Amino acid sequence: METGQEAQVSEAQIAVHWREEEYYYPPAKFIAQANAADPAIFDRFSEEHFPECFKEYADLLTWDAYWHTTLDTSNPPFWKWFVGGRLNASYNCVDRHLATSRNKAAFIWVPEPETEDTESITYQELYKRINEFAALLRGFGDLKVGDRVTFHLPMVPELPVSMLACARLGVIHSEVFGGFSGAACGDRIADSRSHILVTMDGYYRNGELIDHKAKADEAVAAARERGVEVDKVLVWRRHPDQYASESPMVPGRDFFIDELLKDYRGSVVEPVSMPAEAPLFLMYTSGTTARPKGCEHSTGGYLAYVAGTSKYYQDIHPEDTYWCFADIGWITGHSYIVYGPLALGTTSVMYEGVPAYPDPGRPWRIADRLGVNIFHTAPTTIRMLRKLGPDEPKKYNYHFKHMTTVGEPIEPEVWRWYHDVVGKGEAVIVDTWWQTENGGFLGSTLPALQSMKPGSCGPGVLGVYPVIYDEDHSVVEAGSGRAGNICIRNPWPGIFQTVWGQPERFVQIYYEKYCRNKESTDWRDWPYFAGDGAVQAADGYFRILGRVDDVINVAGHRLGTKELESASLTVEEVAEAAAVPVMDELRGRAAEMYVSLKPGFTASRDIEEKVAKAIETQIGKIARPKNVWIVPDMPKTRSGKIMRRVIAGISNFADVGDTTTLANPEVVEDIRHHVQGEKVARGEVPRELSPQEIEEIKVFGRTE
Amino acid sequence: MPFGVGHVGSVRETRGAAVEMTQQYLAGELSLLLAQLQAVATDTAGVRDLARLRQEAETMPLLALPSVAVRALELADSVCWDSLTRGDTAAFVRQAAICAELWQFGVCAGLLEEGQPSNEVGAS
Repeated sequence: METGQEAQVSEAQIAVHWREEEYYYPPAKFIAQANAADPAIFDRFSEEHFPECFKEYADLLTWDAYWHTTLDTSNPPFWKWFVGGRLNASYNCVDRHLATSRNKAAFIWVPEPETEDTESITYQELYKRINEFAALLRGFGDLKVGDRVTFHLPMVPELPVSMLACARLGVIHSEVFGGFSGAACGDRIADSRSHILVTMDGYYRNGELIDHKAKADEAVAAARERGVEVDKVLVWRRHPDQYASESPMVPGRDFFIDELLKDYRGSVVEPVSMPAEAPLFLMYTSGTTARPKGCEHSTGGYLAYVAGTSKYYQDIHPEDTYWCFADIGWITGHSYIVYGPLALGTTSVMYEGVPAYPDPGRPWRIADRLGVNIFHTAPTTIRMLRKLGPDEPKKYNYHFKHMTTVGEPIEPEVWRWYHDVVGKGEAVIVDTWWQTENGGFLGSTLPALQSMKPGSCGPGVLGVYPVIYDEDHSVVEAGSGRAGNICIRNPWPGIFQTVWGQPERFVQIYYEKYCRNKESTDWRDWPYFAGDGAVQAADGYFRILGRVDDVINVAGHRLGTKELESASLTVEEVAEAAAVPVMDELRGRAAEMYVSLKPGFTASRDIEEKVAKAIETQIGKIARPKNVWIVPDMPKTRSGKIMRRVIAGISNFADVGDTTTLANPEVVEDIRHHVQGEKVARGEVPRELSPQEIEEIKVFGRTE
Repeated sequence: MPFGVGHVGSVRETRGAAVEMTQQYLAGELSLLLAQLQAVATDTAGVRDLARLRQEAETMPLLALPSVAVRALELADSVCWDSLTRGDTAAFVRQAAICAELWQFGVCAGLLEEGQPSNEVGAS
């Protein structure tokens, strides 16, 4: 339901971001059944109850021994949660549900080929498979507590089985996304010093059976180059008794798991009781050509955090059928396909293939057939499904109560399609902000208690207190309209423990920037630096930004170039837009817009006026551009980035700088001739620029 | 469709690329698509370039993904032209299908903006 009220937007707010959207409220039917429907929960997780508030999450688990210290800060920023507590993650995800839910599906696995049967794996069956594979890993693999095992597995049930088998033994698993190359896998094997690789012969993608085992050979070779020898490659087979790869099995190194498992049928492995702070898994992030960065996640803190956020933010009940349409190879899959939902004893759907195979109706067909009522995916997938089949959801009779979006900021118009068409206006949407390093959500809305606002992830989640700092370490106040670096003031149980084998890098990347006192053992002195830019509205909701944008200061109003460009792009004919500042005698600076048109449209005064009007309507009269220039193409780098510096130079009759690196240097002269010719004809030639103004134009677009 | 348009798109700047969040999956999907293209590329240089680009997708900061996506489409375009020039229509069909998938993904992931052919400079 949408409110009728006008969004109140301050001039300061529009300086940094899109206009604030209207609120959407959860349906009464959802509130009536929600896990978190009593506002008292905010008090329980308020700062005065930190860190003890997280006992509520930890109490969702079954502990072998309770902890004596909720949060140990003696060695900052290597926080330890639930110290003294002992538990086993595999037991918590499977064994403890057997008494009441033995025959309930833990996973419903949907193979990509529609001709193959869906596989329902009950908690009892999952327990059996985990125990047998754990016995194999312990016996044949000779693995013990603290050893690392690397998986290079696609979206098949064998992946969660392998993860939970390791967790049962206290062995640290490290899954590498199945689509990654053998070389990338090898780098991660070497970094974690795994001596066993678990892989699969093949899997389906886009209708083809992909040869996956071949990558294992590359991975082993890459690890060897970095000084780590893989002793055993254990190969699951996509189709029992058939080998889907052309890569030969290496005698003495490669083994088919289904053949080995014959010796472990019916085995039961006692779950190893692990300290809460023992590492559960490593999750590598890309982002450097140097050593890969393995985020080490703990057993107790992590599991408590994903269980708690799954319960309150995903609103998972044991009787739900939940589908997180992501890959377990990423943190989203670890937290919100495997550990969180299983800890709560729900039924989770796993899908092997690509979203739109064989057609864009596939996800909705799956949801309809399996009775999915909670759906969770990323904006990229949402955009793709919207583009390929905008009306497909209407053809299927599913009903979601709850939908999540994860991984990227979502544009308001895409959000609305997700809400209105995918959710049929019946479901709440939980927009989430978090990172691989965080274990679980950091910014979101509690769906029954906090209204939704398209484009904003919401405030900090329960027990997490975000803050925005500027480069001078000053707090950027909510509602100021200024953007800055979003940080978390406090530790939380899901935070990763360290970068595997690189503790100094952990401190340097995440804590050094805003640490107030390196000698302090008070967590308040160690804010976590997330690395994302954000702006906080007066209502406390955060919008995550890619970076802090260039601004144009018009009569004291700071206008973000992105907002001006975003508004221009709402004009149907406009394909690309770029905003630049021009010197203006009255206002100091004014904005000028450069736009190029979609194929089939011709430049006209009417389109120029439409662009100016769109900016006025969406941002305000103050933002009305001095000129709108329609150009055939923008000057761009070879990577396709618009060079605002160049067009700013043209608009101000200043030096455009070096254009030799442009992909299309020839357009510069065309644009100059067109724009400056018009300006001369209109009498808009600016006075001579001061050295400071010349410098300002020169550095414009520096964030590019 | 990038193939045959003459230029392959530009980086979309309005969302995404610099945000850390949990965007590792964008690198993963891009790597996967490059692997598919590598598998159907017929010339050695193309295969080598695609392998190099794939390594970049897997190791470079997420901020570099738009640039990788643009170069991937450029390579895809050249791989397609190469097959057409040789009259290898079977290879071309396979390559063009992956090229389309790559483009679709790039646009939906916010890594690419649809390119547009040249317009006349109009009055303004």
